[in-house]
Parts: sequence; structure tokens; C-alpha cells
Amino acid sequence: MFQLMRNVHLALGLVFTTMAMIFALSSLVIIYRPWLNQSVEESERTVRLESDAASTPRALALALMRSENLAGTLTQVEQEPATIRFRIYRPGTEFRIEYARSTQEATIKTKRWGVLETLVQLHVNHGFWHELISVNAWSAFSLLSSIGLLLLGATGIYLWFVHHEERLIGGSLLAVGLIYGLTTLVLTRLA
Amino acid sequence: MYDWMKKIHMYAGLLTFTALVVWGLTGIHAVTLPPPGGYAPPEISSEREMPFVSPGDLDDKALARRIYEAAEIPLAGGHYNIHRNDDLNLAFFVFTANGRRDLTYFEERDAVRIEHRRNSLASFLSTMHSSHTRRGPRALPARMWGFYNELSTWAFLFMTLSGIYMWLVTRPGMRWAQASLAAVVGLSIMLWILSR
Repeated sequence: MFQLMRNVHLALGLVFTTMAMIFALSSLVIIYRPWLNQSVEESERTVRLESDAASTPRALALALMRSENLAGTLTQVEQEPATIRFRIYRPGTEFRIEYARSTQEATIKTKRWGVLETLVQLHVNHGFWHELISVNAWSAFSLLSSIGLLLLGATGIYLWFVHHEERLIGGSLLAVGLIYGLTTLVLTRLA
Repeated sequence: MYDWMKKIHMYAGLLTFTALVVWGLTGIHAVTLPPPGGYAPPEISSEREMPFVSPGDLDDKALARRIYEAAEIPLAGGHYNIHRNDDLNLAFFVFTANGRRDLTYFEERDAVRIEHRRNSLASFLSTMHSSHTRRGPRALPARMWGFYNELSTWAFLFMTLSGIYMWLVTRPGMRWAQASLAAVVGLSIMLWILSR
């Protein structure tokens, strides 16, 4: 049993290594963001599109995705008589589009974040509604890693418990963590 | 070296076990979150009114700030969406880890209505999982949780790296383990390239 649990713990740890690194590093980026000097690449270009292609915001987005290779999820659609605005987003990259019906021109503002900020965006990425399969795959990976984290915790507890000589110190640490964590959470919930 | 690494790995896991469980549950709960624009606030769970007299010389933004401070809402984390509602009363909401409060100021009768939309336990944990020493509610228990959460983040990074170290020291030749790591690293690199 011990050997099986040890192997399960190892297998879970290895399978979720990259996601665990993404979760851990991105959390540290969030915590220490003010100290990090992160750069964002920004660029702008204008393209011309026939009004037929801009009959609706979705039609316009699809036309731009195809002609300008703007892969991602369509968000924040705003439509006015003279203008259409929306964003196309994927982890690490965002396109802000503004289309003027009068000139039939779409201005595409591109924002491209560095590796660290992209890790943060992968960390908060969730759900399976994204238009990019790879982004949905990240969500699935993230979900499985969360389940894996609970299983790692459970197998880890077992592996500790069979080490009889570690029960006193380990049990004390577990108790301190549980009492401290649960007390602060419950008091916050009751505030 | 290995024995010490194993001890610290084990102790770190035991001490931060509560945070790890909260993170795991939050990650599972995230699947149920709506897409952008699909968020609907919880139902109103309680309602109260407090007297408040407007100074009379403030704009809406400044007045909302004054009401926000006077209301002293526990765990308040900022006030948002300041606007005039359909009846032209000043309205905004206050974010808290326990669910948002919708505030409406009735200027004619010098009263502020505070509606609490208490969130689910899962939403509460989701908010708390992102707290750290410089972010999150300012109440003492929440701050103390923030310290624990931040410590747990460092412990988690350590456990990931020390776990790989311990595998390489004790059982580096395991074929299935090598294959698992190679497959997951390969998959991650492929997904990274495809999403970027």
C-alpha cells in the first residue's frame, strides 16, 4: 500500500508539474507585481474592410480573425450607429478593435504581455467557452490540476502518517495549519 | 541532503495543507464561473438603512466616497459602478469577500439603503484564495489569512521543486515517471505555443 501511494504521489506530482509551476510562479508575480518591471508591447494598425463584412460585430470579428489572424475569444462588444468596438483576447495577447462605418476602417490596437504576465492570465483562465481549443485545453489542465492538488494532499497525508517517528512534529504542524487557517477563514466569513 | 529535503517537504505540506485544500476547491469551483459578461450577483440576503445627511457641495463621486466611509462595511474592498438609478438616486456597490453590498442614497429623506448579497461559501473561498500580505480585506483575520496564503505559495513552489529533486535522487530510472514528465512538459510547450 505504501509503495502504491508513493507512486501515486509521484505520478500526480509529475503530471501536474508544469501547472503547479504556473500556479506558484504566477501567484508570486501577483504578490510582487509592484517590484517587477514588466514590459508590454503595444502596436497599432489600420485595415480596410467592406461594410458587408461588418454587418454585425460578430461578422466583423470573424472577418478580422480570418484576414488578420486575430485568434482568441471575442469580448466586450459595443455597437453604436457609427462605430463597432470589441476585444479579441487570448492569454498574453489582446486586440482592441474599433471599426468606423463611415471610413470602413478598423483600427487594431495590439497589446502583448511578457511571459510572467501571461502565466498570471493562464492561472486565472477558466471555463470551456473560449473559441481557441488550446485555451479550453489550458482550462481543462487547470481543472485537473486542482483535483490533482487535492489528491496530492490526501496521498501526502497518508505518506506522512506511515512515518511513525514523524507523527508528533508532523501532527503538530498539521494542527497549527488547520487551526490557524480555519480560524482566520471562519472569522473573516463571520465579519 | 535528501533526508532534510524530505523532512522539509513533508513539514511544508502539512503546515500549508489548509491552503492547498482551499486552492484545490477554488480551482474546481472556477469551472462553474460564468464567461465575461455573464455574471449575475447573488440574491439580496439582508437589508438595512442608515441615516446620512449629504454635505450638499459634493459631486456624485465624492459623495459616494463619503457614504462608503460612513457605512463602515466590514471587509470593504472598494466601491464601484457609481451611477444614478432609474429613480435618479445615487447608487453604487461595495465589494466584500462575503458578497457585495448595493448602496442607494435617498437624498430627500437622508437615508442610505444597504442591501447585502451574501455570496456562496465557494465564492468566499475563491476570493480568499487570492489574498496575500498586500491584497485582500483589511480586517485582522483576513490579513492573517493573507500571510498564511503567501507563505503557502512559497511552500508550494518549494514542494514542486523538492518533489522533483527527491524523485531524481531516489528513483531516476523509472520509465513511466520519465515518460509522464516528458509528456506533460511537451504538452505544455505545445499549448503555450498554440495559445500565444
